[in-house]
Amino acid sequence: MALTELPQLQMGFRDIQTANTGFLPAPPPSLLTVVLDTNPHAWELLSSTTGLTLSNVVANLLVFINAHLAFNHVNQVAFIASHVKRAVFLYPTPPKPTPNTNTTANGSAPNGTDTINGTMGDSNKYRPFARIEHEILTNLRALISSTTTSTLRSTTTTMMAGALTTALAYSAKQSVLLSPLADPISAGQDATADYNDGAPASRRGPPLTSRIMVVSVSGDLAHQYISVMNAIFAAQRQKIPIDILKLAGDTVFLQQACDATGGVYVEPEVAEGLLQYLMMAFLPDATARRYLVMPGGGEVDFRAACFCHRKVVDVGFVCSVCLSIFCQPLSDGVCLTCNSRLSLAGAITPAPALFPRKKKKKKRIAGDGTSGASTPMQGVTPGPS
Amino acid sequence: MSVSTSQALEYLQGLPGMTQAKLYTQPSAALAIFRRMLPHLAKTIVMAMLYMPKPFPATDLDLWLRPDARRYATMHRDLAMSVLESLHIITTAQEKQGPKAYSLSKDFAKSLKNALTGGGNHSSFGVPINDHDRQEVSIAFLDDYARTQWETILYYMVGSAGTAIAGNHSISSGTKTLLSIGGFVEMKLNRTVITQTGFTFLLQEVNAQVWSLLIVYLENAPTLNMDEVDVLSFLFMLGSLELGQAYSTANLTATQQHMLDDLNDFGIIYRKNVQSSRFYPTRLATTLTSDAGALMSESSSFQNALRSGSESKGYIIIETNYRLYAYTTSLLQIAVLNLFTRLSTRFPNLVSGKLTKESIQRAISYGITSDQIISYLTTHAHPQMQKTVPILPPTVVDQIRLWQIEGDRMRATPGFLMQGFDLNAYTDVSNYAEALGVLVWKSDAKRSFFVSKIDQISAYIKGSQKGKKGE
Repeated sequence: MALTELPQLQMGFRDIQTANTGFLPAPPPSLLTVVLDTNPHAWELLSSTTGLTLSNVVANLLVFINAHLAFNHVNQVAFIASHVKRAVFLYPTPPKPTPNTNTTANGSAPNGTDTINGTMGDSNKYRPFARIEHEILTNLRALISSTTTSTLRSTTTTMMAGALTTALAYSAKQSVLLSPLADPISAGQDATADYNDGAPASRRGPPLTSRIMVVSVSGDLAHQYISVMNAIFAAQRQKIPIDILKLAGDTVFLQQACDATGGVYVEPEVAEGLLQYLMMAFLPDATARRYLVMPGGGEVDFRAACFCHRKVVDVGFVCSVCLSIFCQPLSDGVCLTCNSRLSLAGAITPAPALFPRKKKKKKRIAGDGTSGASTPMQGVTPGPS
Repeated sequence: MSVSTSQALEYLQGLPGMTQAKLYTQPSAALAIFRRMLPHLAKTIVMAMLYMPKPFPATDLDLWLRPDARRYATMHRDLAMSVLESLHIITTAQEKQGPKAYSLSKDFAKSLKNALTGGGNHSSFGVPINDHDRQEVSIAFLDDYARTQWETILYYMVGSAGTAIAGNHSISSGTKTLLSIGGFVEMKLNRTVITQTGFTFLLQEVNAQVWSLLIVYLENAPTLNMDEVDVLSFLFMLGSLELGQAYSTANLTATQQHMLDDLNDFGIIYRKNVQSSRFYPTRLATTLTSDAGALMSESSSFQNALRSGSESKGYIIIETNYRLYAYTTSLLQIAVLNLFTRLSTRFPNLVSGKLTKESIQRAISYGITSDQIISYLTTHAHPQMQKTVPILPPTVVDQIRLWQIEGDRMRATPGFLMQGFDLNAYTDVSNYAEALGVLVWKSDAKRSFFVSKIDQISAYIKGSQKGKKGE
C-alpha cells in the first residue's frame, strides 16, 4: 500500500514545483556520487599515452566537488573508488564518518603526508571543503598503498558493477534518511521535523535528487554485464541519472547506462580542458538540467554481452523463460541461468519452406479493371497448372 | 528564496559598484554571495563561465537553454542575468563589431576560484586557534548563549508592548539605539513602544530576524565611522566559520574588532571578555549564509538535520473551537502568544488559552496583521498538527481574517469633491472622470461626485468652459 502511494506523492510534489516555477523556493538538496575508476592498469596506459595522471584528475574532481557543494548548503557528496576487485568508499569514510571535532583535520595529519594543511592553510580554505578533500586524499592514498602486485596480477579490470551498486545503495539510504515519506511512526519523523522546521505537510521533505557520475578509464566490462545492467535498471527506476565521463577505454554498457537513465555522456577531446568539461556539462543538477541542453551520447551502442562467454554479441540466442542471452546454441539444451529445458534443436532447423504467394490475383486486378463482375470468378478458379 | 535572503540581496544590489567590487576580493564573501544570493540558474551559469578562458557569447547561452522549455528557461535566464548584472558579477563585454558576450567580474572570479581551490593567502575563512582553551566551550553552551542573548533582545521588544510578562531584559544601550533606528521600537513618553515593523520582525524566523537587524546595523555603519565593506565581509566570513571552533581576533581590522563587541551583544559570536584574543561563532553566525533555520531548527548542516533536535520545534495546537495549547516553557514564546491570545492557564510545560475576538483585535490595534498571526501559528504548529492538510483549522483561519476585516470597515480615500454643476456639465464631467478611472463616488440627485485625482479634470473643465466662451 505504502509502496504504491509513494510515486504519486512524489508526482504531486513535482507538479507543485513546476506550477510555481516563477520563484522556486529553494532547489532540493542534491547528492552527487562520484565513482572514480582507479584501475592502475588503465591509468598506467592513459598517463603514458595522453599524459593525464590520476592525481591530475583527482585534483580536478576535487574542485568540481567543491563547486557542487558551493551550490547549495544542503548538497552532499560521496566518492567511491572502483578499484580492481573491490569498490571502496573514499568519502564519507567507512565504517563511520570521522568524528566531527575540530581536531580532525590536524589530528590525523601526522599519519598522512598532508602536513602542509596545517594552521596556515586552514584560514584560506572553507573548512568543509578542506575536510572532504583531506578525507578523500587520505583514503585514496591508503587504497593505493594497500594494493599489492599480486592482486594486480590476477585481474586487469575494474569493479564497476560493485561501485555502481554501492552508489545506488548509498543514494537510496540518504534519500530515505532525508525524507521518510512512507513511515511517519519511525524514528525518521524527527529528522523530517528537524529538516524543515514547521514547513507545511505538503511541502515537507524535499526529495533528495541524486545523480551518479562515473569517471571511466578502463574498458571491457563484459564479464560484469549482468550486474551492471541490473544497476542501470535500478537507477532508471529510482530516477537517478548516471553521468559518464569517458577518459579512455571502450565500454558499451556505460553508454547504455547513460542513455537509459538520461545522464550526460562526454568523451573529452582535449584532456587538458577536463575542468571546463566538468563545470559545464556535469555540474548542473536535476533542477538546472530542466532548462539546459545537456550533452548526450549521440549514437548509442545497444549490443549486449552473452551470459556464457561474456562476449559482446550482435545476434544471439535468448532463453524464452529468463531472457538470458547466449552467443551460440547450448549444447545440451538447458539454459545456464534458469535450467529450463529448451528445445533449441527445433529452432535452429533449416528455415521453414515458404509457399510462394499467389500473385495472380493482383495481376488480374491490375490487368483488367474494366470488367469488374467477371474478375472474382476467374480469380478463384485457377489452380496450379 | 527566503525572506532573509531577499533582504540581504536587496541591500547588496543597492550598494555602489565600487563597494561590491571591494567586497568580492574576499573569497568568503564571494562564496557566500554565490551560495546564498544567486538564483539556481545563475549559479550554473557562473560556474560554467568560471574556468572559461574567453567571454561567453550571448548566442551560445541561448543555445544552451532547452528549446522545449524555452519559455521557462528564458524567464529563469532573465532573472538570473538581471541579478548577476545588478550585483556586477557579470559584465557585458561588447567586442568591437563582435557579438554580445558576457564575462565574469575579475575579482569575483578570482575569489571564487580561490574559495574552491583553497588557494591564495587571504585568511578570509577565519584563523582558527587549535590549542586548547582553559575552559572548554561546548556547542551546547554556544547554542544556549546565542539563544539567551537573542531572546533578551526579543524580550525587550515584547516587553515594550506592555504585556504582563516582563523578563529581566538588560540589553546594551547600543542595541537599544539600533532597534530604535531600525524603527522596531520607538520612544513614547519615556517608554519604549514596539512598532508595526517591530511586530513583523518579532514574528519572523530567527535567521530573517538576524539579517533584518544586521542590515540596520550595516546602514548605520557609516555614521559610526565603520567601513561598510569591512562590516559586510566580516559578516560573510562569520557565515563560513565552523561552530565550536575558536578563532583568533589577531588579523581583524579595527572596524571588525569593534564589531565583535556588538555581535557579542546580539549573541552572534561569543567572547569570554572584551580583551580575549579568541572568539567563538555561535549558530546564529554559522547559519548566516545558509538557508537552514538558525536557532529553531538545529540543522546547520546536513548531518545535524538528521539528528533529532531540541524541543523547540513546533509547539502550538489549535482546535476548531479556537482553543490554543502551547507546549512551551519559554517566557518569550508565551509573551509572543500573549500578544494575540487570551491565555488562561499555565502548567509546567503547557500554556492554554483561547483566540478571542478581543484578543485578536487587540493585536490588530497594535499593528499586527491577521496574516502575520496566521503565518506565526502555521510555522510553529505542533508536529501533530503538521500532519493534517491544511495545518490550521480553516474555520480559525477564516475567523481571524474576518475579525481583522471587521475593523477595516471604513477606508479613507484622499481626493476631491466636485459639486455645483448644471445638469449638462455634471453628466459630461462625471462621465469624463469615470472614463479616466478616477471617479470614486457620484450622486446624480445631488449633482456631485468624488474623484481621487483632479489635475486632468480641472484641465478638462477649463477647456470646456473656454470652448463655450469661444462659441
